[in-house]
Amino acid sequence: MVSSIEAEGLTKMFGSLTAVDHLSFKVEEGEIFGLLGPNGAGKTTTVRMLACLISPSGGSAKVGGYDIIQDSLKVRQIVGILTENPSLYERLTAYENMDFFAEAYGLSNVQEKRNRIRELLEFFELWERRNDKVATFSKGMKQKLAIARALVHNPPILFLDEPTAGLDPESSKEVRDLIERLSRREKRTILLCTHRLEDAEKLCNRVMIINRGKSIIVGTPDELRDRITGQPTLQVTLMKLNQKIVEAVKKLDHVREISVDNSTSRLIITLDDVQSATPEVVRSIVYAGGMILSVNILRPSLEEAYLRLVKGE
Amino acid sequence: MRIQKVMLIFRKDWREISRNWQVILPIVVVPFMLSVLLPVLVVVLIPRLATMPGTSLNGLENVLQNLPKHVQDELVGMTDQQVMVYIVLLYFFAPFFLIIPLMASSVIASDSFAGEKERRTIEALLATPISDSELFLGKILVSFIPSMMITVISFIIYSTVVDLLSFTIFNGRLLLPNLVWILLIFGVAPTVALASIGLIVMISAKVKGFREAQQISGILLIPILVLVFGQVTGVIIFGPMLVTLLIGLFAIIDVVVFKIGVKLFKREEILSKLA
Repeated sequence: MVSSIEAEGLTKMFGSLTAVDHLSFKVEEGEIFGLLGPNGAGKTTTVRMLACLISPSGGSAKVGGYDIIQDSLKVRQIVGILTENPSLYERLTAYENMDFFAEAYGLSNVQEKRNRIRELLEFFELWERRNDKVATFSKGMKQKLAIARALVHNPPILFLDEPTAGLDPESSKEVRDLIERLSRREKRTILLCTHRLEDAEKLCNRVMIINRGKSIIVGTPDELRDRITGQPTLQVTLMKLNQKIVEAVKKLDHVREISVDNSTSRLIITLDDVQSATPEVVRSIVYAGGMILSVNILRPSLEEAYLRLVKGE
Repeated sequence: MRIQKVMLIFRKDWREISRNWQVILPIVVVPFMLSVLLPVLVVVLIPRLATMPGTSLNGLENVLQNLPKHVQDELVGMTDQQVMVYIVLLYFFAPFFLIIPLMASSVIASDSFAGEKERRTIEALLATPISDSELFLGKILVSFIPSMMITVISFIIYSTVVDLLSFTIFNGRLLLPNLVWILLIFGVAPTVALASIGLIVMISAKVKGFREAQQISGILLIPILVLVFGQVTGVIIFGPMLVTLLIGLFAIIDVVVFKIGVKLFKREEILSKLA
């Protein structure tokens, strides 16, 4: 796999404040990589450094193989950015906004430019509103237009800073679906900054949780959950619970811990490997005469894991 | 420096600015008042003032005495009414015409520099592969070219109105354009406009919004008002020498403010001021 983004000890100081503190990570080509953290964690500053908007105080990074300090113009050419704020010219129409940025990114062939703008505005379902001033657009539409603008020069790498911030649940879902389509259909590398776990969980292949400019943990959403909160547990609800059943389960090799809730006739079992051991647990309960009502694998939510991490810092 | 990128910024900014009535209204109304209303008022009012007992030239006598010899020579053989119209239209109103480039450029530059920051559109713009210098020049041009066009158009209108009005009063003689006014419009006005733009660039680096930038830039009105009062009291009278001196003075101010402005107009500086 080729790394699209490689950061090594990336640091940014504002006076005495360390906004980003020796951040190192790699983002593979075609991956959606999430930077997850509370407000002020250093996500936007990291993106600004990678997009060559501000220079790092220390460390280095390569984006698409180009050094962010030596080849800043090249980096800007191959990166599309959705800034924290949509950054659209509200007095201009949707088409005029796209047209300006298309030329700013070097699309000088008129026909090619027109085709690209039309393709994007149609993809984002904004073509019908192309001649309306952006000031008349809803927040969701502005966000979609801002993403379309980030794609106007067909960049292989996209930086999306809080793409669903300030949107209602419906628009958020729409934007998430669009990002998913972009990644799946067009295989773009996406660096996504968010403080929303939902976004990270649903969209990202891998997530790096950062707080106060420092990396806390990196992994897939599932890995993070497992590593932070431990293994998932098995919850079995029976029609009636008795000691014989509990003993039968305790005897099994993979069972590490068992808690019994007699009031609800429920067993909560911690296993070495919940996926492979579950059928065995079920069989032993049935052999011991238990009548099973439901079997669930319980995973603590990423939200719990995340809050625990961020607060524990 | 790629000129097509500079012009791209120019076109985008102008399209935006031309749709903002807060910018367009003052840069249309003020020049109209100065170039049409003022001369009409003077020509309508002066004959009445001149014929009213006790008013004639009495008030102007002190001023006339203070006028340099070359101006007094111009007035030889004129009637009281002609003297008043001549002095007011050609000398008293001259510094008013410096208000046009000053005001227009400061309003446009405030919208282009501070306004872009205020509306938070600057970040996406800075993320494009357009260099700082292309961006800077594009924004300077969008503040400078329309301001100068408005100044020149106002001057043409003013000259036409003055000539139409004075044609009968001065028995077919056309008063404008003359050397002083040409130097004023094509020499002092551009340097004043550039000083105003440079100052706005400096202010925009520090302030958050369009209005704030514009209010602070009002400071540049002070030297212009000094010239206005200087002319009215006869202390300063625009002659070719003085106007050339003014061009030099404002050119020095331009160099200073632009040196500071260029230093402040850096991606890093602009973005670090954004929350």
